[in-house]
Amino acid sequence: MATLATIFSRIFSPAAAGEVPAAHSLEAPEDLFLVRAFPNEDVYFLVKEIDNSRVVREADPVAPKRCWKMIAAGGAAVALLVLLLVPSAYSRLTGYQIQALMAQRQQLLNERAALDLEEARLLSPERLEELAKMQEFIDPAPGSVIYLPPALGSLALNLPQK
Amino acid sequence: MAIWDSILALLFPSREDRLLEAGWGEERSKRRLRLLVWLFVGWAVLIFYHLVKFQVAEHHVYRRLAVSQHQKLVEINAPRGMILDRNLKPLAMSLPVDSVCVNPQKIPDVAVAADILSSVLDLDRDQLMAKLLAAKVMQKGFLWVKRKVSDEEAARVRSYKLPYVEFRKESHRFYPKGRLAAQLVGAVGVIEDEERGVVGLESYFEEELQGRPGAVRMVTDSRQRGVDATVDIEPVAGADIVSTIDERIQFIAERELARAVTANHCRSGSLVAMNPVNGEILAMASYPTFDPNVPVRKGDNLAPRLNLAISAPFEPGSVFKVITVAAALERTNLKPTTVIPCGNGVINLFGRVIHDHDPYGALSMTDVLAKSSNIGAIQVGLKVGEPALYDYILRFGFGRPTGVELPAESAGTVRRLKSWTKSSIGSVAMGHEISTTTLQLAQACAVPANGGFLVKPKIVLRRGRAEPSYQPAAHEKPVRVLSPENAMTLRRMMEEVVLTGTGKKARLDGYRAAGKTGSAQIFDFETHTYTHRYNASFMGFAPVTNPQIVVVVTLNGASLYGGAVAAPVFREVAGAALRLLDVPRDASLTGEQEPEAGNTNDLPAAEIAQEPEEPMLQPAPAPQIPARTVIRAGAQVTPDFRGKPLRAVLETASASGIQVSFAGSGMVRRQRPAPGEALPPGEKVYVELER
Repeated sequence: MATLATIFSRIFSPAAAGEVPAAHSLEAPEDLFLVRAFPNEDVYFLVKEIDNSRVVREADPVAPKRCWKMIAAGGAAVALLVLLLVPSAYSRLTGYQIQALMAQRQQLLNERAALDLEEARLLSPERLEELAKMQEFIDPAPGSVIYLPPALGSLALNLPQK
Repeated sequence: MAIWDSILALLFPSREDRLLEAGWGEERSKRRLRLLVWLFVGWAVLIFYHLVKFQVAEHHVYRRLAVSQHQKLVEINAPRGMILDRNLKPLAMSLPVDSVCVNPQKIPDVAVAADILSSVLDLDRDQLMAKLLAAKVMQKGFLWVKRKVSDEEAARVRSYKLPYVEFRKESHRFYPKGRLAAQLVGAVGVIEDEERGVVGLESYFEEELQGRPGAVRMVTDSRQRGVDATVDIEPVAGADIVSTIDERIQFIAERELARAVTANHCRSGSLVAMNPVNGEILAMASYPTFDPNVPVRKGDNLAPRLNLAISAPFEPGSVFKVITVAAALERTNLKPTTVIPCGNGVINLFGRVIHDHDPYGALSMTDVLAKSSNIGAIQVGLKVGEPALYDYILRFGFGRPTGVELPAESAGTVRRLKSWTKSSIGSVAMGHEISTTTLQLAQACAVPANGGFLVKPKIVLRRGRAEPSYQPAAHEKPVRVLSPENAMTLRRMMEEVVLTGTGKKARLDGYRAAGKTGSAQIFDFETHTYTHRYNASFMGFAPVTNPQIVVVVTLNGASLYGGAVAAPVFREVAGAALRLLDVPRDASLTGEQEPEAGNTNDLPAAEIAQEPEEPMLQPAPAPQIPARTVIRAGAQVTPDFRGKPLRAVLETASASGIQVSFAGSGMVRRQRPAPGEALPPGEKVYVELER
C-alpha cells in the first residue's frame, strides 16, 4: 500500500532524484528471509509534555475595539451589498409584473376583438330580419312612423302641445 | 515589490544564487518551489490567453451566444385594417388565431403523434404521418400541422400537453356579415404564406390594409420568462377603410335584387344606390353572390365573386334614351313639348327598317321618353347628330371607367365615331351598339338629379385608424354636363316616365320619383340572333324636388321588361333607403302598396322580337285614406276627380285654387293624391285620363 508519505518520499527523496544512495531502500534485500522494512519505520513520534499553566494572557484593551470595528465594517458591507442588490431585484420583479400585464392586455384586446366580431355577427341585418320574422314583426306602414320635432325631445309622449 | 522580486529571483536565479544554493544544500527545495511557480505562471498564461481569445478575438461570437441565451426577438403582428360601413359597422375584421406546428425532432413516436393530431385536428392520418416522417428524416426542426385552427381545436390539442407541439398566433380575416356586400368588400387568400386581398376593397387597398409587423427584444431569465422588453421595430397596424355604403341599405338592396332575380328566373343582377350630389355609393349589390368566410377550393365556381355592377358591361337599351334627350335639350332647339313624328311605329333608317313596340303617330319629347318610343328616340338622335350625341355620351362618362376605388372596373364600350355605320345613330340613340356598366348608368343618372354635374362615384368615405384621426377623402370637383335649366327639365321629363310612362311600378309612396326603364334583348353569340331574354333595367332617383338617392337596377336574362321587373326593385330599395336616411317627403302618402304596371314595353329592338302583350290596365283600387293622415293648417282636401272629363277637372281645380297636372285624354281614371287626402299648399294633383 502506497501511503501519501511514501509517494512524497519517492518524488522528493534524494534517492528518487538519483543524487543520494538509498540508505533505507524499500527494495527487497538480497536475503530473502530477512523481514522487509515497513514504510517510514525510521520515523518516530515523540510526545513531549508542555506545561502552559504558567503562561498568562496579556490583557489587550485595543482588541475589543478592533473586534467591534470589524463587526461594524462587516455589517456595513452587507448593508451596502443589500442596497446594491435590492433595486436590481425589484427591477426584475417589476419586469415580471410588466410582462404579465402586457400579456394580459394583449389577451384582453384579443377577447375584445372576438366580442366585437360576435356583436357584429349578432347585429347583422340578415339575422335581425330573421328574428323579426320569427316574432312576426312587420315594416311600419307608410305614414305610421311619426317623427317628433327635435325640440320636443326624442320621447314619444302623447302630451298636448302648448 | 518585494514579493515580485522574490518570484523573479526564484524563476530566474543568478549564478551566485545557484552557487550559494549548491553550497548550502537548499537546491532541492528551491527547485520544487521553482517548479510550482512555473506551473502557476503557465496556468496564468493559459487563462490570459483564453481571456484574450474570448473577450477580444471572438468577442462577437460569444456575445451573440450570450445574448441569445437571455434575449429573444418576438414578432408583433400588425393587425390587418378593418373595413367598415359608413356608420362604422364592421364588415371585415381580423382576429389572432392559433396555428399548430411541431418540432419533428422532438417527436418520440411519429405514428402516435400522427394518430393524436389527425384525430383532434381532423386531418388525414396517412398524409400527416408522411409529412412528419419526411420532416424528421430531413432534420427539420419546424413543421406546420394545421394553420388557423378553431378555438375548440386549439383547446383540445393543448389538453394533450404534447411537448413537441407549439402554437403560433396568426391573423385571420372574418366577415361578420357573411354574404353582405361580398363582392364589394372582397375576400382574402393566402399568397406566399400571407393573407392578401384578392377581390373587392380587400384587393384595391391591400397596401393600406396590410400594415407592417414589428419586433420586440425581450430580456428573459433562465426559465425564459420575460423580464424586460424593448421595441426594436415599431409595428404599423393596417389602416381601417370606412366605405360609403350603409349596411342597412345594402341589405335591402341585396334582398330585393335576389328576390327579383329568382322570381323572374334571371341569370344575374346588379344594383347601385348612390348619392347623386357627392357620388357616395350607398349600396352596390350583385347576384349571385358568395360567402367570403369560405375559402376558395379547387373546382369552385368563381363567377359569383365578380362584381357585376362594375365588371359586367351590357347593352343598356332604353335607359340610354335619357342621354339622347339630354343631348337634344343641350344642343338642339327641341323642347319637352316639341312634337316628334313617330311614323306610326316604323322608320327606314338608311335601308334598315326599325319598328316601334307601339305604333305612335306623334309624341311630345316628354312622351317619347315616358312611353320609351324607339322611333321617337331615333328622330331625336338624328336631330342631335352623330358628333353631338357622341360628345354627350362621353360627357356622361360612358366609354371610360368611373374611377371608383374598386378593382376590375370595366370601361364599357363606346365605339369611336369613325367606326359608326350610317344607322348606328339609330341604335345608339336607343341604347344599342354601346355597352355600359350599372355604375356608369348610376353616374349618368345622377347628372339630372344633381343639377347637371358629372360626379365621380366614391366607395371610400375615410381612411385611417382611430376615429379622431379619420381623414375624410377629398371630393373631386364635379364636371358640369348639363345646364341647370336643362337638368331640371330632364328631371321633370323623367318623372313623367314614372307617373304616366313605362316606369309606373317605380312610384314611391310619399316621394316623387323619376327614372327610366330599359329592356335590351340579349344577343346570342352562338346563333347570332337576339334572344327573347332581356337586360331589364331601371334607373331613377328620388325625391324629385331634392334628389337624395339614385338607384339603378339591372336584371340579366329577364323574360319581362325593365318596367315590370326592375322598377319594383327600385321602388323597394329607394323607398326603404329614403326612410332610413330620414329624407323629408315631397309628396303626400297614398297608402298605395303596389302601383299598377301600365304599359312597360320599352323594347328598343322591336324589329327582331314579337313583343308579348302587356296585361291590360286594371281599374285602380279605391283610394284609402291612411289612418294617421293629418290635415295641416292651410292644407286643402283633394277633390275627387275620378270619372270626370278634363274640362270639368280644370274648372273644379280652378275654382278651388288647385294646380292640376294631367296626362292622357278622356276621363280621369286615376289621381294622386287620392280623394279626400290632404293637399299641401303649392302641391299639384296628378290625374291620368283614359278613354
